[in-house]
Amino acid sequence: MARFTTNGRAGLAGAGRIIKPVVVIGLLVAVVFFLFGRTIAQEGEPAATPAPSPIHPVFPLLDADGANVLASGVAVSTMTTCGGCHDTAFIAANNFHADVGLETYGQPGSLSGGRPWDTGAGLFGKWNPILYRYLSPEADATVDLTTPEWVQLFGERHAGGGPAVTSRGGGPLVDSGLAVDTTIVDPATGEARPWDWAASGTADLNCFVCHLPGADNEARVAALAAGRFADATTATLAGTGIVEQAGGNAGAWVYNPAAFDEAGNLLPEYITVGDPTSANCGNCHGVVHNEETPLTLDELTVADWNTLTTGQIMSPQRLNASGLNLQDKSALGRSWDIHMERVLECTSCHYSLNNPVYYRETSGKQPEHLTFDPRRMDLGEYIYRPLHQFAKGQSAQGTLAPGFDETIRRCESCHSIDNSHNWLPYKDRHTAAMACETCHTPRLYAPALESIDWTVLTAAGEPVRAYRGMEGDTLGAATLITGYEPVLLPRTNGDGTTTLAPFNLISSWYWIYGEEERPVPLRDLQAAFFAGDGYAPEIVAAFDADGDGELAAAELLITTETQRDAVSGRLSAAGLDSPRIRAEVQPWGINHNTARGEWATRECRDCHGGESRLAQSITLSDRTPGGELPALYEGGPVSWPGGIEATEGGGLAFVPSTAEAGLYVLGHNAARIVDILGALMVVGVSLGVLIHGGLRVLAARKRAKTAGEESGDPAATQQVYMYDVYERFWHWLQTAAILLLLFTGLIIHKPDLFGIFSFSYVVQVHNILALLLVLNAGLSLFYHLASGEIRQFIPRPRGFFDEAFSQALYYLRGIFRDEPHPVEKSRDRKLNPLQQMTYVMVLNVLLPAQIITGALMWGAQRWPEAAAALGGLPWLGPLHALVAWTFAAFIILHVYLTTTGPTPTAGIKAMMLGWEEMEITNDELRMTNEEAPAMDSA
Amino acid sequence: MKEFRFIWIAGLLVTLAVIAIPVILFASSGGEASADPWDYVKPTPSHVDHSALMAGPYATGAEVTAACLECHESAASEVMGTTHWTWESEPMMLPGRDEPVTVGKKNQINNFCIGIQGNWTGCTKCHTGYGWEDASFDFAEETNVDCLVCHADTSLYGKGTAGNPADGVDLAAAAGSVGRPTRRNCGSCHFDGGGGNAVKHGDLDESLYYPDETVDVHMGRLGFECVDCHAGEDHQIAGHMISVSPQVKDELACTNCHAPDVHADARINAHVDSVACQTCHIPEGALRHATKMDWDWSTAGQDLPEDPHTYLKIKGNFVYEHDFRPAYAWWNGDADRYLLGDIIDPTAVTQLTRPLGDIDDATAKIWPFKVHTARQPFDAVNNYLLVPVTAGEDGFWTNFDWDQAFRLNEANTGLAYSGEYGFAPTSMYWSLTHMVQPKEQALQCYDCHGENGRMDWAALGYFGDPMTWGGRELGINN
Repeated sequence: MARFTTNGRAGLAGAGRIIKPVVVIGLLVAVVFFLFGRTIAQEGEPAATPAPSPIHPVFPLLDADGANVLASGVAVSTMTTCGGCHDTAFIAANNFHADVGLETYGQPGSLSGGRPWDTGAGLFGKWNPILYRYLSPEADATVDLTTPEWVQLFGERHAGGGPAVTSRGGGPLVDSGLAVDTTIVDPATGEARPWDWAASGTADLNCFVCHLPGADNEARVAALAAGRFADATTATLAGTGIVEQAGGNAGAWVYNPAAFDEAGNLLPEYITVGDPTSANCGNCHGVVHNEETPLTLDELTVADWNTLTTGQIMSPQRLNASGLNLQDKSALGRSWDIHMERVLECTSCHYSLNNPVYYRETSGKQPEHLTFDPRRMDLGEYIYRPLHQFAKGQSAQGTLAPGFDETIRRCESCHSIDNSHNWLPYKDRHTAAMACETCHTPRLYAPALESIDWTVLTAAGEPVRAYRGMEGDTLGAATLITGYEPVLLPRTNGDGTTTLAPFNLISSWYWIYGEEERPVPLRDLQAAFFAGDGYAPEIVAAFDADGDGELAAAELLITTETQRDAVSGRLSAAGLDSPRIRAEVQPWGINHNTARGEWATRECRDCHGGESRLAQSITLSDRTPGGELPALYEGGPVSWPGGIEATEGGGLAFVPSTAEAGLYVLGHNAARIVDILGALMVVGVSLGVLIHGGLRVLAARKRAKTAGEESGDPAATQQVYMYDVYERFWHWLQTAAILLLLFTGLIIHKPDLFGIFSFSYVVQVHNILALLLVLNAGLSLFYHLASGEIRQFIPRPRGFFDEAFSQALYYLRGIFRDEPHPVEKSRDRKLNPLQQMTYVMVLNVLLPAQIITGALMWGAQRWPEAAAALGGLPWLGPLHALVAWTFAAFIILHVYLTTTGPTPTAGIKAMMLGWEEMEITNDELRMTNEEAPAMDSA
Repeated sequence: MKEFRFIWIAGLLVTLAVIAIPVILFASSGGEASADPWDYVKPTPSHVDHSALMAGPYATGAEVTAACLECHESAASEVMGTTHWTWESEPMMLPGRDEPVTVGKKNQINNFCIGIQGNWTGCTKCHTGYGWEDASFDFAEETNVDCLVCHADTSLYGKGTAGNPADGVDLAAAAGSVGRPTRRNCGSCHFDGGGGNAVKHGDLDESLYYPDETVDVHMGRLGFECVDCHAGEDHQIAGHMISVSPQVKDELACTNCHAPDVHADARINAHVDSVACQTCHIPEGALRHATKMDWDWSTAGQDLPEDPHTYLKIKGNFVYEHDFRPAYAWWNGDADRYLLGDIIDPTAVTQLTRPLGDIDDATAKIWPFKVHTARQPFDAVNNYLLVPVTAGEDGFWTNFDWDQAFRLNEANTGLAYSGEYGFAPTSMYWSLTHMVQPKEQALQCYDCHGENGRMDWAALGYFGDPMTWGGRELGINN
């Protein structure tokens, strides 16, 4: 199975089956007992039901030197405490939550797809406009964040270890010779002063923050922010009764001897450690609410990361049972997240990759004949070295630990699409084009960051932030939360497929400077905007539009050169080289807050219509600072079909285009040129027919007038049995099929014009009619071949052009003069050369083209490769529409030309009754009614 | 040729058929039609105005009944065949007993006001008859049947002591107002059981007179009357409660109208063999008015501050709760019943009613119950529960003398009183089946499963949470 190195990443990803976690936990306990010979006082038989007591053995708290803290009184180290049984060195070394980018730390610009100043792949080194502060490399003259300050600020979202222990040059931080490791910039003076690592200690990997239910994250963050790094782990125990802080909030942590037994072990009632709960994950990753109390939200902070960036909230609670002021709340009977509702935890999907319960081979590695490989890692081995690389997806922004991208089970790993979605026509086509989340996370119900403008600072020294999904810009108990619909963008998945998936877009504007680009440090930005207690006079002068000497919120926006120059001038004056505004749009993927089918997007028209959900635009911002259009982030798996458009009021929106995404969405996409051409063709033919017919009527009247009573006797006619029953039947069946196909096709093409029809029903009817048409055409072909009637359709070379010419001339001239038809219609020769030419085209070009394009569009479900070989739906769709337009034009002409017989209705009557009224012009063709049946047998 | 003139009509029909038949056969217009529960709801009969038919005047209730019977000849005899009249079941076998027994309000006790014997005049206010004031009541006299309590407008009719019409009732007006029983007819007794609004059941109280849909989906959203579900022929009303009908299989069930696998979610449908509909769809009891959860008779008779929801001198201490979380137990529809005279262990809780069924009983499902606990008087020598005479001149409520109250009832109950009494803990299970919530308010997975779930799996006989341990079909039971 998998091999691990103690300092490298483990080369494994998994496949496996879910075994009931409780069984596993029970087994794990047994194994722990076995391996380490620890005993828990057991009297008699174990209780039938697992008691709520900890499954974990009791243990002492050890300090970094391995001494019991009761004796030493110094900070707890989980590296030694947990290291008593678990290989914490292995755990710390193979752990992207600890590493957060240290391993890939490099020169600015070295991150593929990153910004020019990014130095790492994770929180340590990868800049982002939400956190703004920049971890400066050693070589920089102007330093923003050094390592100690990074721990103070960003340690909030870091589990310890990694860069909080190890220098970016390698080796312990305490021994680092790098200035950026051993100094901190004094925010008042901008000068670097030394950092005393010996005094602060380092922030070792903190097992408690993830494994202790009710871990006190606030106390941990406070210890880090205060620069007491070594205390962070101890502080996490606040609230357990094991420790308390002497002298209020700032004092040292002291241990409560009552929490320990005589052997120095913690008493079980004081501590419970186990699998991370969702709430543990929520400490850093976003709002998690797994309690019965109604969910409430106060200000969103960076500790609510995924909620802040996307509006995702992890809770089993129903939306209408929450404490939020949600729009249309009473109707929102869905839960925040169906998986949480179904009692899954974060770790159910984001499991340790060598957890033998979940382990599976990387897809593609497992032989195809195996669906399950029972060879598992021994549970004891796993307990000793649980890999702290967790199954993960591939997020739009995440560049950390790319080796583990898409190790997570995907929706379809657990859910069968084959056994569900039976109501959905073209199931495979839909799932090939769209990620599950596209329909199953139709809307987010919490606010999310929309834009962040660092080009100006508010009076509080903050950027101007705007949120989507709520009214106003501050979040409080009374804020109306409207939620928002994410934008759908193509996402390239780990398996190489591309599907539309939901994203939030966050736009940002910020100042950068220097030839080697760097974001302007916050303290320089603040110095540029403020002087003394208020805004600098130059800033007020530039921004104070109403001249009241104050800068109102609305005035804080760079719209003019003067304003831009005022800020950049002050930044330059502070020694920053050529400050300029940079703007970007970041996509943030949405994979949680899934809803059950009844809440999913499932109306055909939601996407198949003019206003398609797939092409729904999303507001980027209500402002465009400095007129700078933001660049669309290209570093991730997301592509950007469509473009940015200005909105009223100076804002911006991203408008996606399904056509640019390579999709042809029936009812939404239409090749405009095809529709214009087709409509012109139909209108042209109709006009031609009207003019021609009008002229015929006029000519007939004129003739009637001049002829007067001179000849009351019209041309002599006789009844000829022209079409036998089968011919009439296939003709009319085809007529009905084509007319209905055109009608249903039009509904599918422009569903918005036909609101009363069910889209999916019409699609089915269209397909059935098409099948009928093909069968009818096939039978008819067989009939014509078998009976030899096919000859009627085959032009005869002899005299063909002469006849065709005279027939054309007849339509142009003779018909108005009531001249006889140049080519006589007869039982054996029903078609004139022009008709033959037309039918050769209709039957050999149009009909096959329509059948093939139609079949391939239908087959996009079954044989997607075949459709793709012909350019896919974006080509097939317009072609099918074009041929349909041509058929429509043909039918108009065809019907009109039936009126050119001896009497206007003679043709149609013949096709209905079989008998056609023919002018008697040729003695050879004279027949009596009685002779007709003889023809049938001929 | 003539004979072919209309052949095009035949052709047209054939062509249309060739197109229409495949379309109808193969194009599905979406969602399969689900069974409509409304199909099973009886239509409301049209109302016949009786004001002209029942002009009166009537001097007594019996006269009204006699007038009713002129047209509805069999009505009284029908009513007399129901427990609404007899207050006593047919003889039935209860577990562990040799003889069939009858059970009902008439001869058994509960842990609220205890028993009607010796207390008839107060209790029979809710009897569908006139004049049940002692054991000699004539159950065979048709004119003793009270038609009005169920059929008259409740604003025109009410009952007083012994079930006789209350003073001042205009019987002619009441008789003229009769019609299909309304919520108020049923509620006048069933919502006020135990002596007042919401006291007894936990899922039946006066909030159901005009409920909104958050109280009860059937009555609030859909406008149901009680008798839309509790329908029946010949005055036999469907529905029963284990306290008085412990072995009567209920003919009323959600599945009479709803398909058991009605849920769109297969995971939920997989629950219906083991979980009653009520368990998820009645997440809490007493949604509007607090209900009595505990009654301690032992403190009665003291001069303590009084509050109808905490202490009354005549009754003792109470605990009321609203929005209470139900107790859950396996129930196969049958119950065991404490019978008057059964020996108790006064140190243990005596279960006056006990739902039968357990995890190994395939016909049992997990049901929600209100459990009413009490400390009620027992004979400290004979070790059986006692029925005091409470109301009336010599009753406990007048004299606060337990000895007298017990001694007075010896003749009525046939149980000797030793002269020493104590108070023993008892409990009663009341199945919850009203105040039904729609799916939007029903329990969700995590309400029962997972770390914060409300189920006591061990108590139900499971080894652990069946979400992870598997269901009872695996047999991994306690």
